[in-house]
Amino acid sequence: MPSRRVLLLTLFLAASVFGVPEARAGLFDDDEAREQVQKLSKQLDEWVDTVTKAQIDLISQLQSLREENAKLRGQVELLSFELEAEKKRQQDFYVDLDARLRKFEPQVPDSPDAPAGEGKPAATAEAHDYETALKFFQGGKLKEASRALESFGKRYPNSSLLPDARYWLGNAYYSLNNCKKSIETHKQFAAKWPQHAKSPDALLSVAACQQEAGDAKNAKATLEDLVSQYPSSTAAATARQRMGQ
Amino acid sequence: MAGFFLNRFRNLGALACCVGFLAFPARAELVIEITGAGASRLPIAVADFAGETESARLVASVVRGDLERTGMFNMLAAPGVAMDESSTPNYADWKYRGADAVVAGSVAPSADGRQEARFRLYDINRGLPLVGSAYLASKPLLRLAGHRISDAIYEKLLGEPGVFSTRIAFVVKNASKSYELHIADADGQNEQTALRSKEPIISPAWSPDGAKLAYVSFENKKPVVYVHSLATGKRAVVANFKGSNSAPAWAPDGSRLAVVLSRDGGSQIFTISADGSNARRVSTANSINTEPFFSPDGRFLYFTSDRGGSPQIYRAGASGGDARRVTFEGNYNVSPRVSPDGKKLAFITRREGAFRLAVLDLENGQTQILTDSYKDESPSFAPNGRMILIATETRGRGVLSAVSIDGRVKQRLSISAADVREPAWGPFQR
Amino acid sequence: MNMRFAFLLPMALLLAGCPSTPSGPEQPDAPIETRVPTVNAGSVDGRDLPNELRDPKNLLSQRSVYFDYNSFEVKREYQELVSAHARFLVANRQLRILVQGHTDERGSREYNLALGQKRADAVRRVLTVLGVQEEQIEAVSLGEEKPKNEGHDDLAWAENRRGDILYRGEY
Repeated sequence: MPSRRVLLLTLFLAASVFGVPEARAGLFDDDEAREQVQKLSKQLDEWVDTVTKAQIDLISQLQSLREENAKLRGQVELLSFELEAEKKRQQDFYVDLDARLRKFEPQVPDSPDAPAGEGKPAATAEAHDYETALKFFQGGKLKEASRALESFGKRYPNSSLLPDARYWLGNAYYSLNNCKKSIETHKQFAAKWPQHAKSPDALLSVAACQQEAGDAKNAKATLEDLVSQYPSSTAAATARQRMGQ
Repeated sequence: MAGFFLNRFRNLGALACCVGFLAFPARAELVIEITGAGASRLPIAVADFAGETESARLVASVVRGDLERTGMFNMLAAPGVAMDESSTPNYADWKYRGADAVVAGSVAPSADGRQEARFRLYDINRGLPLVGSAYLASKPLLRLAGHRISDAIYEKLLGEPGVFSTRIAFVVKNASKSYELHIADADGQNEQTALRSKEPIISPAWSPDGAKLAYVSFENKKPVVYVHSLATGKRAVVANFKGSNSAPAWAPDGSRLAVVLSRDGGSQIFTISADGSNARRVSTANSINTEPFFSPDGRFLYFTSDRGGSPQIYRAGASGGDARRVTFEGNYNVSPRVSPDGKKLAFITRREGAFRLAVLDLENGQTQILTDSYKDESPSFAPNGRMILIATETRGRGVLSAVSIDGRVKQRLSISAADVREPAWGPFQR
Repeated sequence: MNMRFAFLLPMALLLAGCPSTPSGPEQPDAPIETRVPTVNAGSVDGRDLPNELRDPKNLLSQRSVYFDYNSFEVKREYQELVSAHARFLVANRQLRILVQGHTDERGSREYNLALGQKRADAVRRVLTVLGVQEEQIEAVSLGEEKPKNEGHDDLAWAENRRGDILYRGEY
């Protein structure tokens, strides 16, 4: 190392300039100086070695940090890929489940002469509008949901999805704290499609609204009505509980 | 004593010399292996071509071989049928023999001294001719005329262009440890040596016009990228920066190449003009970035990177920007090559310690592993996207294999006593 | 060196002098070399290099740094070797070296080229930390292309995961 050589040279010069010509015997004789230089040189060697080793260690530490970082990055890449895939899977699953469930829900014809909902050319636009409205509801956009469900009813008075649209509209009003409209909508729904799977729930919701509005008498009547009409429904079980309280 | 030995040694040397001269040039031999049941194959017959026996036999056999090798045809024997492209076939008879299509043709000397190969393809079920044409070729190029006929038949019957008249490039490592860059017809015939070197040659890449090859040569004790004009044999250094230079890939318009340079430290992707000027760095991640490959529209680069701790394939804009990871299964996915239609990605994946050819459907994200070999390397798509050419190993020797993209058809090209590797399938010849 | 020449020369004359009959004086101790080294065109043997680099007793005659599988770190056991070359290069600024990185044969050739580059770069980085100037070093990769051991087992692979230091005149 050049730096070490320069230093050694300096030390040596210093020794010769100050030590030898002055010849102050006893203070710094030749042997002692040599010994001193050797000692310093050895120390310096050790010091350079230490620094060098430290630097090399730093390089390898940097390398392992990089590798560690890369591994983490790889994990992030993989996890976000898997999350993305899982989201898509969930969505597909939901859509699939929804479609299957709909088959089991009673399809109530609006009027005898109305053509069947399925297979109608307009069915896709209808389904799309319905889905959009529901998405508003699920996304918490209640005003948009109620508006979309209202207009759905006007646009597709014969739709097989109309009962569901009305039911959700009632729920949307309920969530918007519009009890009057909620009661009205759910009552109409339950009266018009008494066989609909959601009718008991609609009545339960009506009772809840009436209770909230302080109309305990009517609330009780609605619950009794619910229990007698749909004795085996889960809503009836809830109704019995509420009445027992 | 010593003299005796020396003489004996001299004689041995002389003998070795003779053997060297007498030895047959290494010849490529093609083995076709069609695997996978249920591949529906179209029954076809190629009648003997009329005309001068040797030439006619050659052209007919080239056509038969071409069609048969695809694995898409069931080649019916047609012994002793005398017909040419102008005769009307006996449709009922062919139908009885089970042929859906029949090819007839002839080879005859033309006025200018060359040979004229003619053919016609007949649809037996509908009872009418489908297509016919004539090709002029000097006698040594008669094989090519046969390939052109096969191309026309293939396209008519299967609705996509044939690749029989395309060429392939590959590297041969001889027993004497010398390396040769070879060019051959797609069937492995008509083999020619474009470059001979004592040092390795890797990564040949055809220019989009098929006139040049870019490759990496180690003749200067380090990897340097060359562009080699095949017709003239002229070579130009396009990337010889300090450090390593490798992995050339042509942009679809042929004006630029993507290369990998280590001049900034590490392996980074750059693009350079085809003359080697104007190098621009594309990749920025502090990791290995290599094996660039352009998407057919030239907008994207697919490449291999270890930025995530294991080699995986990524995609970024052709001039840089954020990279999106493309492969996720397994911890070793390398050598991305995009199909000519841009819809599929061929690559090499390591599964249970074996390196295998895989294809990723870029539209639905599904990956299919096409081989069960253990050392697949360097995939390249046929220009019609139907087959993928790879290097692989059988019995410890490097051979080439062409695999159909559904993995059902496999062809093997090997050279006796030599290692064949680093294949690259050339573009359509215009 | 000279001594070896002196030894070989009379033997060559002797061989030339007695064509077929083994009547000449017996040379029981003279090795008869029938193996001929294959010399690649364009190769160089570094004749003009400083003696330290070729003296087998000198650490500088050792030129290979071996790496672990999938590792790109100069191991402690090779730091002394690399340091010796660094000191030598610092003391002899006119010298130039080529660091060639190598990998085993498994995997893609081009990806292995990049891995070999990582090894060459690792050796280069240690050298520059120790004061060698960038202009003195070129770090390149030969990937899996030039195996030292042509075998296909763990032993061969370990021998091929390597960085080699070559002085100008040797490449």
